[in-house]
This record gives sequence, structure tokens and C-alpha cells, in this order.
Amino acid sequence: MFALDVSFIAEDGITILFGPSGAGKTTTLRAIAGIIRPDEGHIAVGGRTFFDSEKRVSISIQERRVGYVFQDYALFPHLTGEQNVSYGLKEESEATRRDRAREVLSLFKVEHVRDRYPQNMSGGEQQRIALARALASNPSVVLLDEPLSAVDLETRSGLLDEVAAAQARFRIPFLYVTHNTTEALRLGSHVVLLDKGRVKATGFPAEIFNQLAEVNS
Amino acid sequence: MVWESFKLSILVVTVATLIIATLGLALGLLFAKGRFPGRELLASFFTLPLVLPPTVTGFFLIVLFGRHGLIGEPIYRVTGWTVAFTWQAAVIAAVVLALPLMVLSARAAIESVNPQYEIASYTLGKSQLATFFRITLPLARRGILAGIVLSFTRALGEFGATFMLAGNIPGKTQTMPLAIYEAVISGDNKQAQILALILTGVSVAAVYLTARLTKGALRY
Repeated sequence: MFALDVSFIAEDGITILFGPSGAGKTTTLRAIAGIIRPDEGHIAVGGRTFFDSEKRVSISIQERRVGYVFQDYALFPHLTGEQNVSYGLKEESEATRRDRAREVLSLFKVEHVRDRYPQNMSGGEQQRIALARALASNPSVVLLDEPLSAVDLETRSGLLDEVAAAQARFRIPFLYVTHNTTEALRLGSHVVLLDKGRVKATGFPAEIFNQLAEVNS
Repeated sequence: MVWESFKLSILVVTVATLIIATLGLALGLLFAKGRFPGRELLASFFTLPLVLPPTVTGFFLIVLFGRHGLIGEPIYRVTGWTVAFTWQAAVIAAVVLALPLMVLSARAAIESVNPQYEIASYTLGKSQLATFFRITLPLARRGILAGIVLSFTRALGEFGATFMLAGNIPGKTQTMPLAIYEAVISGDNKQAQILALILTGVSVAAVYLTARLTKGALRY
């Protein structure tokens, strides 16, 4: 059993869900995506209600169309880079799907791995493919679950810029889960501080981390 | 005797394997993903022929499919036909005896697919059915193929229940394992040797193929 009681509003930009492991960050993302079902509450994205326990509304994972970047990426191992990216595309014709997939691949600078299988890609390439797959079908929100925890430090910095650039280009809310202060400060336009399943504070990154520093000192 | 029993075995095993592959995959999926009370009890029921003496399973099949059987009698009354002592009876025996291997392999293969991939597919807008065919099935395919090979081999070697339900009629229900028995008791060692060699060869090939398939499955 895990009790999670969170309430926050994510603005346009990148909202950081910050907190120690076990704080409920991933559980929150999973509830928004529709992978798990909260006992009660209200979840809406861009005016669309995903879940409302009082009105008995709960739309399916498929209909929510969130872009989800999993911690271990969950790239389909039997599909190539391009097939992974085009998997969720709704376009009817094969040609338009391919064009759209290639456009997104080039946006994330991973055209060179389009015919490779995930096992033959570097951690950074897998991460970019995961981002490209999540964004290809124009989701209304992007959920990123510690997307950089599996890549080495050198690759990390470049990928942070990539995430920031993607948000600026697509102009949809990003919810970014991390317990890394550097990532939070560099990316966040807004921080939601979680601990033991509850929201401890919300605000601008500098404010939140100054408060945290004072508490710790 | 060799040629006739070989032809009959091929017919029986081909039909049986087609039925086992479809039914076994469906049951494997049901037991891997289904959430209903009594699931494990039902799964155990389908595993039973693996541990029961084949003659006992054969006896139950006679109770079900014989002319006065629970299923056999209504069929006989409507059509005047009874399945016992026909080649179709050999198919029934082969299906029932070999199905557990397919169900167990298919279930294990489906359960070995990381559910994260299925969840990722749902978030990308794909239904459960589309996800099964485009993600789960391709990722589980080696284990499923191994199950088909194993149950094919088990069906080919089926003796006890076939003897009980289909009998041992040369050219009609006498499959290769029964022909070996017949050859040995009538002192025709040459025929027995040929048949034994064929069945051993097929079994060795099947075991090797299964090992290759399941070893590769660990890649994901």
C-alpha cells in the first residue's frame, strides 16, 4: 500500500517533480498517464479531464495520448529506431508516417540510428529515440521519469539542452521527475517538491532549493 | 506398414499441431494475463495430461467421446457417426496429451515479456489487441515456437491414449508408435528399427531446435 496525496498545477514549461526516492514521483506520473487509477481526485491536462472521481470520469491510457519517457526508455527491442518513433503515429499512409518519423528523428539528431535496433545504440541515442517517440504524435503533455539516470555524466549535459530545446519547440507542458538538483535547476521553470507522498512546496527552482539549503544547514 | 503408418502419423500430427498451436496460444494468453477466480485451478486442469498415465487420460477420453460417452452419444444420435476408432480420434488423443506443453510454454513466454513494453504501447495509443500482436507476440515468439516444436514431438510420439480411443487399425488408426509396438510383438525387428530410427531422429532434431530457440529468447 502506498498513500499518495498530491495536488499541483503545472504551468507551461518544464515542471520538476523533485524528491527523494519513495516520495511518489513516479506514481504521480503513472496516475497522470492512466497506468494506475487513483482512489479519488481530479486530473486534467489543457482543459481535458483525464480523471475525476466525483464525476466518475476516467479515460483510458490510449485516449490520454501522453508522451511518456520511461526511466529505462522501454524502447521496443524488436523494432528499429525509425519503427519505434513511427509506432504511435496515426497517419494513414505509410509514406506520411515515414516522413513524419524522419522529421522527428532529424530534430533529435538521431537519423543515423534509424535502421538500428535499440541494443545497438548508445545510451544517449536510446534516450533521444525515446524523446522522439514520445513527441512524434503531438501529445498534450510529456512525462519524463528520471530520463537521464541511465546515461553517463558526459552525455547528460548535452541531453539536458535537448530536453529544454524540445520543450521550447513543442510548447507543451513537460513534467520531469528527478532527484538531481543540477538537473532541476538547469531545466525547471517550476518545482514541485514531494516527500512521503505529499507536496511539501511548490515554486521557482531557486526559491525551493534555497529553502531546502536553509533547512539542511 | 512403415509407409502407411508414416503417412497417417503425418496427417494426425499436422492437424493436431494446428489445433494445439491456436488453442494453446489462446489458453497461454488467458492464463498469463487473465485475472479471474479459479485461474490457477483451470491452468492445473489443462496441465493434468502431462502427469496422468496416458492410459488414464485415454480412459477419460473414452468416457467423453465413446459411442455412449458424454459428448460421443449426442454426436452419434444426431449424425450416426462416432469418433472412436477413426483417425480423428488419434487427433483428439494427440491434442489432449500434447496441449499442456504448448500452454505452459506459451504462458511462460508471454509472462517473460517485460510489461513496460506493453504499457509503452498503450501510452502510444495502441489497444490491448494491437499491442498483443505488435509487441507481446513478436517478443514472445521464440518461446511460443519452442512450445509448438515440443508439442509437435509429443503428439508424434503419442501411444497410450491413442491406443485406447483410436485403437490399432493398420492403415486407419495405426500411427508410427503403434506400428512399432505391432512390429515388435509380431517379431518384425527390421520394421521396428526403421520406425524407431525415424522417431528418434525427429525427437533429437526437435530437442535441439527447442534449445536453440529458448537460448535466443534470453536476448530480450
